[in-house]
Amino acid sequence: MKRIYLALSLIVIASLFLAACAQQASTNDKLAEIIKRGTLIVSTDPAYPPQSQLVEGAQRPAGTKCTSDQRTATELKGFDIDTAKEIAKRLGVEVCFVTPDWTLITAGNWADRWDVSVGSMTITPERMTNLYFSQPYYTTPAEFFVHKDNTAYQKPSDLSGKKIGACTGCTYDAYLAGTLKIPGENIDYVVKDAKFTGYETDINALQDLALGDGVRLDAVLTALPTGQGAIADGLPLKPLGDPVFFEYLAAAVDKHSSLDEQNFVNKLNEVIKAMHADGTLKNLSQQFYNTDLATAAAAFDVGQLNQFSK
Amino acid sequence: MAVEVMKPPSMTSPDPNMSMGIELMALERRERLIHTLKIAIVWIVLILILGLFLMSLDFDPKYMFQHFKFVLAGAGLTIGISIVSILIAAVLALLGALGRLSTNSIAQGISGFYVSLVRGTPLLIQIFIIYLGLPQIGNQFRVHGYIGMANLFTLTAIQSGILALSLNYGAYMTEIFRAGIQSISHGQREAAQAMGMTHGQTLRKVILPQAVRIIIPDIGNQFIAMQKDSSLVSFMGVWEITYRANRLARVDSKFMEMFLLAALMYWILTIVSSWLESRLEKNLARAYER
Repeated sequence: MKRIYLALSLIVIASLFLAACAQQASTNDKLAEIIKRGTLIVSTDPAYPPQSQLVEGAQRPAGTKCTSDQRTATELKGFDIDTAKEIAKRLGVEVCFVTPDWTLITAGNWADRWDVSVGSMTITPERMTNLYFSQPYYTTPAEFFVHKDNTAYQKPSDLSGKKIGACTGCTYDAYLAGTLKIPGENIDYVVKDAKFTGYETDINALQDLALGDGVRLDAVLTALPTGQGAIADGLPLKPLGDPVFFEYLAAAVDKHSSLDEQNFVNKLNEVIKAMHADGTLKNLSQQFYNTDLATAAAAFDVGQLNQFSK
Repeated sequence: MAVEVMKPPSMTSPDPNMSMGIELMALERRERLIHTLKIAIVWIVLILILGLFLMSLDFDPKYMFQHFKFVLAGAGLTIGISIVSILIAAVLALLGALGRLSTNSIAQGISGFYVSLVRGTPLLIQIFIIYLGLPQIGNQFRVHGYIGMANLFTLTAIQSGILALSLNYGAYMTEIFRAGIQSISHGQREAAQAMGMTHGQTLRKVILPQAVRIIIPDIGNQFIAMQKDSSLVSFMGVWEITYRANRLARVDSKFMEMFLLAALMYWILTIVSSWLESRLEKNLARAYER
């Protein structure tokens, strides 16, 4: 009896090692592997319309190269999805999607389960420890909003020393405190000594501002689309001047991949720059957000991030 | 009253005791039926009350009806993942229980450590660690040139989920198996050994068949719990019931509708599996009926 167990375990161990030797690394370059595979595997979380959402009752196209646990381009839609489709098209491969939780995407260590995240990810110093970022494909402009009745403020710098609301612990909080760091951007703190009020979410701050000019707040700092959405919902507010800073949203690639990512990231930069140059991204932004969020991202210099310096 | 009056016309038996016994059994059956009916009425009343509660929630039943198919498409994955995981978990649990009951200090140590570690950490954290961590161990193999080994450690989302669920439930079920094995009287073991059976034979032919009958209800219970815990694999982007319900809810902001729909589906799944479990239980108990 004991001998049988010994023999069995030897067979198992031997087969593991045979399996280990059977496959050899075919290539060491991520881009070459993607071209060879014929598919670009993109991670997205379809929890955030209009960037990414699922399509009910979609048919998988016949002859797709995506595996059964991947999603084809027909099964999802949104701004991120269309951007990813266009990137794959320009690489000359089919796009396939996987949908892990956001935590797993930002954690890095993807084990080459997917190639790239096209998920409206803000470039932050913390994320740069795990991920390489591409040329951003659009931005989230940070904009001051004031009450519609207000005529005293003409530009953001007029708000120094005033009562300003924003979400607690977010980038807008950090901007008002003068501690915000955005890779690749020099931030100009035009508003000084604001009397800051923190809120659970941006919407709460906007609602407090809507109570009246200076009643609880003089201004709110939030994302341009968020403020515009509140105005569209009927809040009596208006944007003040130009955005004070931009958050850049880019595609991201795993730093811990077993393959060499440098060629792939360079190619992504090239493709996204081309998509800025011919207006593709601007048109997509108009289509999904009714405003141009892309042009400011084209001006970003991805080389400043120094991602491949040794 | 006279015995002759009670005797049914169809009865052929001339024995008055026999017919009285049949009469008593019929009475018992009637009482059981009435009891079941009463329980059914309580259920109906409770479901009506639940329905009244749900009516006061803000949701749109029509939307649920129109979109249930998309969510239902995930039921196969939920069931499949649960069945595979419970089978692997049962094997792990058997090994774990044998380890805990063994006199070998290494076996006892391993199984005690396994149960303690796995029972002492949350399932979701285990899923994250297996999904993110195993490939990093695999990478160590890759560095040394064992590509196949490295690939072996890089599990897909579904494989990671099954591994985590199996390990987790295996630990809980170890205790169930141990209790089941210990519940078999020591005399049985001694009798088997007196007949010249080896340790393995005693276990396979005498102890386990009896222990399984005792632990089946507990395994059924674990299976029901597992069907619901399988929803955690949605974190890795597996499109099972919870994932589909949650992400479809985002499309039209129909959260309550989708949560209720998913809840209903899990409920129906568990009703079916507890019914199957009770059938199995009855089947195994047949040998003990008189």
